[in-house]
Order: sequence, then structure tokens, then C-alpha cells
Amino acid sequence: MNCADARDSILAHQRGTLTAGDEAAVRDHLATCPECARVDAAERALGEALEHRLPQHPASVALKRRLAALGAASVPARRARPRWLAPAFAAAAVVLVTAPLLYQQLVLVPRERTLVLTEAVNDHLRVLLSQRPLEVESGGIHQVKPWFAGRLDFAPVVNFGGDTDFPLRGGAVGYFLDRRAAVFLFTRRLHPISLFVVRADGLPWPSRRTEATTRGFNVITWRGGELGYALVSDVDVSELRTLAAKLAGEPV
Amino acid sequence: MAAETRWDVAALGQQALAYADTLHNLARYLTGNPPDAEDLVQETYARALRSLHQFTPGTNLKAWLCRILRNTFVSEYRRRRGSPVIGGLDTVVPVPDVAAREVDRLAKIAAEEIEAALMTLGEDARTVILLDLEGLSEVEVADVLGCAVGTVKSRLSRARAALRQRLTSPTER
Repeated sequence: MNCADARDSILAHQRGTLTAGDEAAVRDHLATCPECARVDAAERALGEALEHRLPQHPASVALKRRLAALGAASVPARRARPRWLAPAFAAAAVVLVTAPLLYQQLVLVPRERTLVLTEAVNDHLRVLLSQRPLEVESGGIHQVKPWFAGRLDFAPVVNFGGDTDFPLRGGAVGYFLDRRAAVFLFTRRLHPISLFVVRADGLPWPSRRTEATTRGFNVITWRGGELGYALVSDVDVSELRTLAAKLAGEPV
Repeated sequence: MAAETRWDVAALGQQALAYADTLHNLARYLTGNPPDAEDLVQETYARALRSLHQFTPGTNLKAWLCRILRNTFVSEYRRRRGSPVIGGLDTVVPVPDVAAREVDRLAKIAAEEIEAALMTLGEDARTVILLDLEGLSEVEVADVLGCAVGTVKSRLSRARAALRQRLTSPTER
């Protein structure tokens, strides 16, 4: 056995995973080669340093919560169903949420408001998990907005077409509870940000901009005329606030 | 059948959560900073959930997730960020005069020095060292790195030798 082969086998020798023949050859070599014996000793010291002193970087609780939320939304039932069934499933979801088992939760926060926030986060997760989240790739807001014509029973009013901080990736038609929604996908660094625009009639959409955190995601909702807006992402709420201001045409 | 499949996917997704710390640690050492590491883990998990049907039951879920993470890092993160490969080749320059002190130096090395030295290695070297520390077999490491099984042993040997040299002769970095 030469030195190169011996050094490639030193770790396996130390871990006792060599075959009997290879083990004997490595031992013989180490006994006669001081330099490889030094490497053997240094490898043991390095192994001890790596195993006991290399800093570990575990995932934060917030990240684990977001991963769990992704996993919870990965059950494919809803994504796989035909779109024409969406109103029926949404109605069933409403019934489930209003069931007595959730009574305690519903007395703590207004039921409909919770529904809106839950649906916003669920829809955002479905966008993240979709194989093809975008039905129209963005060439700018003037390409995305006209694409919705004929696909929705309202015209989404969105006057911000993205910039270098919040590029607009594209759009899609989705469902929000019992109604169709215009979905705009922005990004902030690598973080996707979903903007859902829906008819707000019959839903308790806040007239003023309202912030909430649900399952690790930040949600900002507001009303503009007859339309409800929901902005959802895991970016910091201050960054989401900036995008909301840009969407409202406010100076940032 | 559908319900069973749904349960399996949900169960597998739940099992994958158990490796969040491992994935984040690997991501942290690949990207070099916490925000990018979290992005990388989240993207890895989303991709894994979309591809759960491709996972072969009975094989190592941790190794499968590590492979997705590394592929995501190579295909998405590094390309988007245009970040250079730190450290380049894991060459080892013989430094005979420090050889005798190597073991003593390694025994006294501080945690932050090990981390700093590891970050000076190339991505492949860092990855092979970390996957080995995670207890992945040579076959599994080869699968993650996309190389031949026979290559893993020599890559690991060279990577650890390069790390030893950076730790024992820091001025050579």
C-alpha cells in the first residue's frame, strides 16, 4: 500500500469499516511510515475538533413553524380538485370552521376575520407549492393586468407593477373562499409575496390597512372600493408594509 | 387509496421536518449567512414536498433532502447571487516545519477558528465534510454530490487534509 491509498483509508481505518485485508495493509503501512502515522494522529485530532467543537446552526423555531405550515398545506386534495368544485369546498370549509370544536378560537377573534387570514395564508402556500404557480409570466403590469380580462368577474385595480426591490413575477387566477381571485406574485430577494385581489362584498375586509401574523406568515389586508386586498409572505412585516404602501401609491 | 397516499405524503412531510436542523446547518455552511440559509432550507422543503412521490421508501430521507438542498443551492442560489466558489480547489501544500505541531494545534483549536477555516474551503469540500459528519455513507454522499462512490473517499481525504492545513497554518490561507 502506498501513502496515497493509506491516507484515503485512514478515516475508514479509524472507524473500523475496512475489510480485514485492507485493515491489515493500512496497519502495516502506518507502522512503517512516520508521515502517514502523523496524518493518522492529526486526523483523529481533527475528527475530535469537528465532532465536538464545530459550531452547529440549527433551524430557528420560526423557520420550523414555516416548514410545518408548508407541510400542512402539501396535502394535495384541494389543489387537485376541479375548479368548478371550489365553491362547494369553500362552503364546506366555512361549515367546518364554524363547527363547535373551534368555538373557543372563534370567540377570541372575529370568525370572518380569521377566515380571511387563514384563507390568505392557505392560498399563499398553495401558490408556493404549485408546480406552475404563474399562469402569466410578468413582462410588467401592463402585460399581467390585461391577461385577467375575461377570466374574472371584476377588474383588479393594481397600479404598482414591481421594481427592483419587489419585482413582479406574474399572475394567476385562484380561488379565495367562494370567489375568484386575481393572484399577483411579487418577490423580495428569494421570498415570494402573494397579493390576492377579490370582490370584498360579504366579507369583513378591513377598510384600513391591517397587519396580522398567522402560522409564521405576515398578512396585510385592506379594502379599496369594492375590492379586498391581501398581501402574504414570510418576509419581515416592515418589508411587506413597504410593498403595501407602493401598491397604494404612497411615497416610500 | 387516495386517502392513504395523502396520509403517506403528510407523514413523510412530517418526517422531513425532523431534519430541519441538519438541513439548516448544511445550508448555513454553504451560503455563509443566516437569511440565505433560511431561504435555501425553505425552498428545499417546498421542492421536497412537491417531489415526495419520487422518494423511495426505505432509503435515507436525510440523504435525499441533502441532495435536494445541494442541487437547489447549485442551480438556484449560486446562480442568482453570482457568488463565487470560496476557496477554490482543496489543494494541500506540504508544510513540513509545522507537521510536528499539528496535533497539538488541532487539540487546542477554538470553535470559531474551525468554522472560519471550513468556510475557506470550496463548496464541494465543505459539503463532503459536513455530510460525512452527519453520518451519511459513501454511497449516500456520492448520491448527494452526483459523483462516483469511489471518488467520495479521496474527496473527503483531500478536503480534511486541506482543512487541517488551514487550521494548523492559518497564515497560509
